[in-house]
Amino acid sequence: MEATIMQKLKILADSAKYDVSCSSSGASRYNNGRMGNAHMAGICHSWGADGRCISLLKVLFTNKCEYDCEYCVNRRSNDFPRASFEPEELARLTVEFYRRNYIEGLFLSSAVEISPDHTAEKILESLELLRYKYGFAGYIHAKIIPGVSPEILHRIGLVADRLSVNIELPSSKSLGELAPQKKVKQIFEPMRQITNTLIEHKSLVGPGTMFKGQKLNTPENYLGTPTTGFANADGQSEGTAGRGKPAAGPETSVGRADEAVKYTSETARYSGPALPEFWDQVSETLPAPKKGAFAAAGQTTQMIIGAGGESDKSILTTSENLYHAFKMKRVYYSAYIPAVKSPKLPDLGTPVPLAREHRIYQADWLLRFYGFTVSELFQDGSTDLDPDLDPKVTWAIRNLDAFPIEINTASYEQLMRIPGIGHTSAMRIIRQRRYAAVRFDDLKKIGVVLKRAKYFILCCGRYYGDRKFEPETIRNSILQMEEGLQMSMFDQGGLSLGTTAGSVSALETAAKQSSAGALGTAAKQNSAVALGTARVQEATPLSGKAAAI
Amino acid sequence: MKDYIYDGTFEGLLNCIYHHYYTDRANGIYTEDCYQANLLCGYQRVETDEQKAQRVYDAIEDKISSYDLRSVYKVFLSGNPDKEMIILRYVVLGFRKGSSVSSLHGNSIVNDFQSVLKKVGAETERMLQFVRFSVMEGGILYAEVEPEHDVLELIHTHFCDRFRNDPFIIRDVGRNKAMIAYQKHWYISEFGDDQVPMVSMEEAEYRRLWKTFFDNIAIKQRTNPRCQRNFMPERYWKHLTEMTELPPQHAWLTK
Repeated sequence: MEATIMQKLKILADSAKYDVSCSSSGASRYNNGRMGNAHMAGICHSWGADGRCISLLKVLFTNKCEYDCEYCVNRRSNDFPRASFEPEELARLTVEFYRRNYIEGLFLSSAVEISPDHTAEKILESLELLRYKYGFAGYIHAKIIPGVSPEILHRIGLVADRLSVNIELPSSKSLGELAPQKKVKQIFEPMRQITNTLIEHKSLVGPGTMFKGQKLNTPENYLGTPTTGFANADGQSEGTAGRGKPAAGPETSVGRADEAVKYTSETARYSGPALPEFWDQVSETLPAPKKGAFAAAGQTTQMIIGAGGESDKSILTTSENLYHAFKMKRVYYSAYIPAVKSPKLPDLGTPVPLAREHRIYQADWLLRFYGFTVSELFQDGSTDLDPDLDPKVTWAIRNLDAFPIEINTASYEQLMRIPGIGHTSAMRIIRQRRYAAVRFDDLKKIGVVLKRAKYFILCCGRYYGDRKFEPETIRNSILQMEEGLQMSMFDQGGLSLGTTAGSVSALETAAKQSSAGALGTAAKQNSAVALGTARVQEATPLSGKAAAI
Repeated sequence: MKDYIYDGTFEGLLNCIYHHYYTDRANGIYTEDCYQANLLCGYQRVETDEQKAQRVYDAIEDKISSYDLRSVYKVFLSGNPDKEMIILRYVVLGFRKGSSVSSLHGNSIVNDFQSVLKKVGAETERMLQFVRFSVMEGGILYAEVEPEHDVLELIHTHFCDRFRNDPFIIRDVGRNKAMIAYQKHWYISEFGDDQVPMVSMEEAEYRRLWKTFFDNIAIKQRTNPRCQRNFMPERYWKHLTEMTELPPQHAWLTK
């Protein structure tokens, strides 16, 4: 018996829930007489019981799968209720949900039924129906099945706002072990094609602010073959799509433009699978390569955390490679939830590594918006992020010689490196500085998280951290703040650190007496060496503190 | 020093600002129903004069900026009981500092003003997120909201564009008014219970489908109600399809 739409929705939403991405951002479109529009910043409409945002109707087209990937609930060998949508009913459901303002649009993924191409054709058919017959102008995120043919991929890109090919595992080794039917090449080929087509359409944007001010849409940026983004076990780039400028030689990551762009709008217009009936009407108006016509919101991917044995460093190196090579908008991470029994995977009772996922996301933000590199985050030779402290604080404590930074003279880039300061507060500081000096009391109003920032800043020449300016002390103070632990737990080596007002005022007195303490000198030297700016205008109080303890 | 009592309109408030400069400095600005007589200083009812309002309006735009003029209006729409004085203090400072006033984040007058402004902005965004339409008979989209701030007129651009070919009504239940729009034309008018249209036949079915989706998209192993509440505060749940019982529950459905 054919399942009802209610049953299908239940099964196919349940099967799709492990896909992380639900963003509806990156595309901006006004209503041109059809139905709906797209909002640049994206809109979340609800939050599920797990606290994840619901922005799109996230479903699989079908969960009947040929593949047998170890980690996946939809794997062939899993005994599980199966269902498929009809394109028509899915389009209708999307439109009806959209009208009620439940969703921003559709996120359509699928299990691999029969073959990647067969599945992709079904996805394409649903999306074209939705766009052209129902006139739906809301957001569409389409999942690209590895191994899909370039023509179908191109046509999906013409109706979708965002495309994503899931890499799922952060190294070719675990990919081989856990998803034997997915091939490395099948994953990176579509990614390469998407990036090249975006360049052709002059709409490649890149992740966060990583490529701010750089021209990405030039022929030199076309990706040649082969291109991969994996990192090896040591966290070094494994493939050929390394960082920045490609190395010369036969394995160069940048190919010739004419060879790279094989699949243009022209080829997609006349080849490929049978067109739906209404195609005649729309093929006339099929857009030529122009901005926003092909996957305006770019491409993303997703990686599972904790299924293979990769370190944080190797996961983040893979991400960094993906950002540099394919200029993708985002890499999503999903903590592995043991849903299927497998000898190659963590046991069913294993706790979900949510804290690890959180730290990796923080590090990912540092890469995309804060100007950090992976090597900076792991410069002490570690391969995993500190579970207790966020990666920005960890980095700052390891690089205390670059601090404290004077708020009133620091550049935007320097401000962004201070823990507790983000884009908004950095911009506010810069804006206010034009008219009035930023005082310490202003920082809280500006939105700076002082409990972290105060250890790393000077404000009008004064240091406001109430502790000794050395790595262990700062680390412990921040830990204490974040976890509400007692100071005594961190007391080591018999050094007792004063926390009372009395001891602080003692420091202030000492500060006045000692005008050229060790730290002040160090900060002065470092400011010249490391940051190249004279930011310590008046080092007295700070240096005093260091000298006093 | 005087207390000013005005009629609760934006023009009325602009008149108060005018009188603050040309008559007597304002000790407080109130609407009639909120005012409690103050023994220390007298009070004065402010007549709403359109010309005076226009002068202040233009002055804010010319001497401060059009950005700040918009901000002043948004703060005026807030439900903050002290909004009149917050605006007055900000405008007075703005006349001295010019367009740089909005950059003085450390100033407590600016900070008070901007924190209210931020709340109005946040509520506006939440309306884009949490408005839930029901499809009524004749294809009319109907939604009920209860925002803390009077943001109804700040959301028309978004919804008028998105649902250009659907007639829709967004009703502010607390203020008993509604935005009624069709094909990019919109107006705000009073709206009572008796004006609510009949609900369509298939509405209940789509609500059920939405709830099914909502319940199944959450990953049980990651259940995190605190996170959910942070993003979706409980005061909005009353009008969210996914957080309320299925029909027939709303008063208008039983009609």
